[in-house]
Amino acid sequence: METLNYLLETLNNLFLIIADAIRGLFADPHSVWANLTMNVINFIIVVIIVVLAALILILLERKVAGWTSQRPGPNRLGPRGWFQTIADALKLMGKEDVTPAGADKFIFKIAPMIIFCLPMMTLAVIPYGKDMAPINIDLGILYFVAISSISTLCFLMAGWGSNNKYSLLGGMRAVAQMISYEIPLLFSLLGVVMITQSFNLGVIVEAQGTIPFIVLQPLAFVIFMIAGLAELNRAPFDLVEADQEVVAGPFTEYTGLRWGLFFLGEYGNMTAMSALAATVFLGGWQGPAILPGYVWFFMKVGVMIFMMMWVRWTFPRIRIDHLMHLAWKVLLPLSIVNILLTGLGIYIYRFVMGG
Amino acid sequence: MFGKGLLQGLGITFKRMVGPNITEFYPEEKPNLPTRVRSSMGLERDKCISCNMCAMACPNSVIKLTSEKNEANKKVLKTYHMDVGRCLFCGLCTEACPTKALKVTQDFENAIFEAEDMHWDMIQRAERKRKVE
Amino acid sequence: MSIEKTEELILNMGPQHPSMHGLFRMVVHLAGETVTNIEPKLGYLHRGMEKLAESRTYSQFIPYTDRLDYLASPHNNWAYVQTVEKLMGVEIPERAEYLRIIFGELARIASHQVCIASTALDMAGWSAWSYAFRDRERICDMYEMTAGSRLTVNIMRIGGMSAEPPEEFWPALKAFLDDTPEMLEEYYGIFFGNEIAMGRLKNVGILTKEMAENLSITGPVLRASGVDYDVRKAEPYSIYDRFDFDVPVRTGCDSYDRTIIRMDEIVESIKIIKQAVRDIPGGPIMAKVPKVIKPPVGEVYHRVENPKGELGFYIVSDGTTKPSRVRIRPATFINLQMLPIVAKGWKIQDVVAIFATLDAVLGEVDK
Repeated sequence: METLNYLLETLNNLFLIIADAIRGLFADPHSVWANLTMNVINFIIVVIIVVLAALILILLERKVAGWTSQRPGPNRLGPRGWFQTIADALKLMGKEDVTPAGADKFIFKIAPMIIFCLPMMTLAVIPYGKDMAPINIDLGILYFVAISSISTLCFLMAGWGSNNKYSLLGGMRAVAQMISYEIPLLFSLLGVVMITQSFNLGVIVEAQGTIPFIVLQPLAFVIFMIAGLAELNRAPFDLVEADQEVVAGPFTEYTGLRWGLFFLGEYGNMTAMSALAATVFLGGWQGPAILPGYVWFFMKVGVMIFMMMWVRWTFPRIRIDHLMHLAWKVLLPLSIVNILLTGLGIYIYRFVMGG
Repeated sequence: MFGKGLLQGLGITFKRMVGPNITEFYPEEKPNLPTRVRSSMGLERDKCISCNMCAMACPNSVIKLTSEKNEANKKVLKTYHMDVGRCLFCGLCTEACPTKALKVTQDFENAIFEAEDMHWDMIQRAERKRKVE
Repeated sequence: MSIEKTEELILNMGPQHPSMHGLFRMVVHLAGETVTNIEPKLGYLHRGMEKLAESRTYSQFIPYTDRLDYLASPHNNWAYVQTVEKLMGVEIPERAEYLRIIFGELARIASHQVCIASTALDMAGWSAWSYAFRDRERICDMYEMTAGSRLTVNIMRIGGMSAEPPEEFWPALKAFLDDTPEMLEEYYGIFFGNEIAMGRLKNVGILTKEMAENLSITGPVLRASGVDYDVRKAEPYSIYDRFDFDVPVRTGCDSYDRTIIRMDEIVESIKIIKQAVRDIPGGPIMAKVPKVIKPPVGEVYHRVENPKGELGFYIVSDGTTKPSRVRIRPATFINLQMLPIVAKGWKIQDVVAIFATLDAVLGEVDK
């Protein structure tokens, strides 16, 4: 029994133990060089997480799509098809790299690169376990939302730089959509911040020791999910890359690995948004002690991603003026009402408990 | 309440996700086609009386046959060609045959690499099929 | 100081497009996202069928008629064959009439399933598309058993039917008819009852009753605008006057009604098939027609109710084995006129939805 507890403790703190060991290799465990090494290693770990997530998700999307239509999805390569992504990646790398003639070359080429960097930057502040955030920033939530809103600019760059009317339409839709949904996204997170009095993601997770915030803030969770789906350009809000109207929107003129980078960036952003939802609303790395903390975290992220895919393959696409109506006339007032109710709740709680 | 239809849709999709798959795993399991499927034509040389009814029934002049008279002054089939590139696979030729020498077969794997392979010599194909069996 | 000028954006939704229902090209004039004008450009699938008919005999032309509206091919066969029989004055046996009705109504169900699937697909409802096509496979299997082909069936001949359905056909038909209520529930749950789909389709693309009558539109598009006109009741052909069925009419005039009226029509078709299966007599399936068909000199026009509208054949015969002129009155070509008029003022997404509810099959438009 005690060895079992000891084993679980070690597994839980595995990465912290490794980090301490690496720091111990230096003469002064907190010197500039030790910090620098740890930062580089953290960076590499985050990159690996993003790339792994993107690779697994490409296949998972096709599998889930198959299951909803009573098909097995890709099942030829590897055991039950799980090596399909390697074939997809090789295929994309082998394609011809075409830049349209009248395109603005610098903007055209930079857009996919930036969009692939964003998930790496956002996933660096999320705590994967106790004290296991690669970079611990005091303004975690604000940093997260700020960085993820740079993707609006990337879509506009891709849409304008392609010199194509379909891309321009898609790019304009992207700007309108993503700007409108930033505000409900941020406001729905403010309720949680008011309860925990801190923007730091580690503190938010530890404040959920007794009860996860999805119970205290159900309305904020729903608003966050809807606004998150709209930020990620996933169905039912995927007008930007609507196959049936604007042939792939801003991505029309991209081939080969450039398009692959957009794709991976979208899946990376999806992982980042799910990770934020799991951290802020579902309790992060906390869970019964049978499994290590990071395993609970990734299971919660997996559940959120599965729900996003489930919604994608069920609902039709929404129209652009309904989209705007939803953002400005429904979600924004609801999120402000949520802040009001949270404030009232905190006041009453303090009054009852403190007085 | 708003959203009831959405939840119903999610329920249907979930039920199908955890349910059985209906895919047929071709080419590991080849399908069993019904006997009347017009995927290909086959000629039985012995039953053919060279009446030319099939060539006359065809909308697109796909069939060309030649015959000669043997010792008993009866027609015997010499060559029988079908230009499958022009064929509609409509089955009018098989219906027109009075002795049922030309029949539909269920071979559906008819893909070829060269354009010349679209001229089928039906007698040769019958020989090849008999040798395979 | 710059002078700002806004320009109209001309977008070519060309023959290669992920949702154009065939080889159809539209030049769309846009102001922002709002459509100001649409110019349809047709002819990408023209195969010269009316000219081809002049060099084929009457029986040889039947496989070509399959390829007109390839999603509901028995109806095209039926229209042509009945026109020639009207010209020649041939009476066909009872069993052949009942079998024609069964296959025709099954084709109506299959065609409406494709329309519902394509409308859902044009709005990214991927699951609805796959469920409708999975159910259509059962109808295609029934055709395969009887006629030999799943899509272009070539099942009717001048004077009757080409073949008697085999024994496995009747249990398969019964199993299909038993599963239809569940099937329709599923379509409703996944697509029509969905609030997002309703928001996309309701009150979009209004086609008023007067506009529909002036443009000579037929079929479900007309009946969704409140006009109660169906060739099966107005001028009954074959033995439709013996069956007890209603013609669904809706008065919404919008895209939602144009799509959901097809679900109502599926329900009516099932009623007709059940009555036909109950009442079908035994007997021959082919009348006594000469091997070489030579109709008398004259001209005739006959029309049937295609799933898309009114399909008519006009044949001029000069006494020989080949017709002198065959004119096909396509249902969808004439319905397509409404697209530039109805789509003005809506967004691009609505144009795609309106075009999907028209249910255009380019084989019929371009012949």
